Amino acid sequence: MPSSLPAVATSAGAPAGAFLAAALALPGIVPGLWSPAAHAQTAPDAAQIALKYLDYRDWQPGADRIRVRSPSLYVLKPLGDAFAVEGTLVYDGISGASPRFHDALSGASGIGVSDHRTAGDAKLTWYGERVAVGISAAVSSERDYLGRALAVDVRVSTPDNNRTWAFGIAGNSDRIDSVNGVAENQARRSVDVLLGVTQVLSADAIVQSNLTYSAGHGYYSDPYKLLDTRPDHRRVFAWLTRGNRYLPAFDATLRVSYRLLTDSFGSVSHALDAAWVQSLPEGWSVTPSLRYYTQSAADFYFDPPFPRGFVPGGNYTADTRLAAFGALTPGIGVTKRFADGWSADVKLEYYRQKSAWRLGGSGSPGLEPFSARWLQFGLAKTF
Amino acid sequence: MSPPATMPLFRHRFRAMASEHELLLCADNDASAHRAAAAAIADVARIEAKFSRYRDDSVTTAINRAAGGSPVAIDAETAALLRYADECHRLSGGLFDITSGVLRRVWDFRRTPPQVPDAAARAASIALIGWDGVEWSERTVRLPRAGMEIDFGGIGKEYAADRVATVLAGHGIAHALVNLGGDVRALGPRPDGTPWRVGIRHPRRPGEAITGVDLDSGAVATSGDYERFFEVDGRRYCHVLDPRTGMPVTYWQSVSVVAPLAVAAGSCATIALLCEAAGAAFLDAQRVSWIGVDARGVLQGPGAHITTKSGPSPSAAQPFATITSRTLRSVV
Repeated sequence: MPSSLPAVATSAGAPAGAFLAAALALPGIVPGLWSPAAHAQTAPDAAQIALKYLDYRDWQPGADRIRVRSPSLYVLKPLGDAFAVEGTLVYDGISGASPRFHDALSGASGIGVSDHRTAGDAKLTWYGERVAVGISAAVSSERDYLGRALAVDVRVSTPDNNRTWAFGIAGNSDRIDSVNGVAENQARRSVDVLLGVTQVLSADAIVQSNLTYSAGHGYYSDPYKLLDTRPDHRRVFAWLTRGNRYLPAFDATLRVSYRLLTDSFGSVSHALDAAWVQSLPEGWSVTPSLRYYTQSAADFYFDPPFPRGFVPGGNYTADTRLAAFGALTPGIGVTKRFADGWSADVKLEYYRQKSAWRLGGSGSPGLEPFSARWLQFGLAKTF
Repeated sequence: MSPPATMPLFRHRFRAMASEHELLLCADNDASAHRAAAAAIADVARIEAKFSRYRDDSVTTAINRAAGGSPVAIDAETAALLRYADECHRLSGGLFDITSGVLRRVWDFRRTPPQVPDAAARAASIALIGWDGVEWSERTVRLPRAGMEIDFGGIGKEYAADRVATVLAGHGIAHALVNLGGDVRALGPRPDGTPWRVGIRHPRRPGEAITGVDLDSGAVATSGDYERFFEVDGRRYCHVLDPRTGMPVTYWQSVSVVAPLAVAAGSCATIALLCEAAGAAFLDAQRVSWIGVDARGVLQGPGAHITTKSGPSPSAAQPFATITSRTLRSVV
């Protein structure tokens, strides 16, 4: 070429991947890549229906406890270009022995369990240009409990769609009416707010960070436990950060997440999750995962059988969920995508909780190891 | 449900955007293959109708007609394409310019006898080139001078190929090869898990492959000097024109780029051609896999070292250079 060309910036100076990054902002060329967050302005263009069946059981040494069989149905339907409606219906059939949290409290911790829970939620989302606004409602009903929630969430994407901000607010109203008459027509209300950001780092990497704050008041005690009196308000602060990275060399995606949660009950918990989504030929994928969870005890937790220096009217609980412990959850999932929009998956998770596994302190003594497993089958179809 | 390995491959050929296109897709049965292909073809037709500069009622024509006049309202998709064109312009130092189509007025590749436009004619056209001067936002665009034109010729077909892949995926298709006039996008590997074999057209022997790439997924796009050209005094003048000089590029016969998306592959290939000798450095800096055929007919690039064999269309026996590209899988 002639050497008299006007001077222009050398195009070799464009950063690697810049064209790809720019191309990713084009509409409709990368399905679901940044879901659930980025591309807030893109309404789903296919309907989806998913049926899941969860079989849960937990046990302690020598005692089977609870078994839950839970079918659920999820439906997503686009309404024109700008709206989508989705909803879930869950039915839990619960059966089994009463929860036995400590040997010492055995038999004192409640009634035999045979219940069912019906829950449903519905959400309407409007997709504007780089903005999506969702309004959702949820109801959960058991024999002794009714929970209702209303939520609004707003997602806003930057012009390059590489960053999405999320704001959410939810109000929850629960009613507790225990069958043993301890809690009659008790109420609990809370407001949750969420601020989140999702950032696309590269074509292969994305991170998300969410802060949530919840303030509630009302009845927090467990009516089925002796000596269970908890504060009448609770504030919870949680910080969740997760990152996903696709590794081309393995054709796999690594997902990691960390969640810090502190609440005004005095408990601090850390949850660390890792999953490896391995793609295999012919639409198969296998996802081994591992979760580590550790928490400190609530301020008013006492090691059974009886609190030291008991003061009538004080706050007390021996609920194992407010004790100090650590837990590991290994899991494995297998998904198969068929032609015609069908996909099937099966997931098995095993949860093991021990007080000795607590990080940064000793666990609550007297806690029996607790085990649970989840087995879930799913079938989904996209139209 | 029959095992996918035995699922048949369906071939759909169609014509749009002045090119021959082909979809190869794996589906359970003819009906579902047909449904998916029909939806894909409808999207290609939609993109052509919306953005073709040959159509009176297209967005492109509306924008060009209003050159020098009032701003034209645009929708989000048009704005996204303009934004992408803007990025390409910026990243290529102005070489990739969707307003450079005005050079076609002085370069007539169908004229007989062919004529190389003189410097004055080229300068008159170059005066109407300049993406820099285009006033655009997410909602409107305005070409500042009468006679200016934009066209999405350098983006549209590749964009359509990526959209087709999405449409097919939305219909549950897990294995497909989308070939829109030589811009090829794979959706997953072949049903048996082996990669698709995509031949790279020999720039001087129509219908023959000079080499090939194996594509698990992702895309390969080629820009070449052979689509429209004429020769005068033994010199070849092709349709890929440098917006700065108004002259055809000469360094490459063709450049093929492998990237996760066809639209990125296509822009990189075109810009590499416009970069002339610096094209290799440009592509290496983009860290894409590529194969170039230089003016001497010699293969260059990271994908070129394995075979330089020319031959008929790709067959399984041919020892192709393997450039594997993976789709951007859902990372969430």
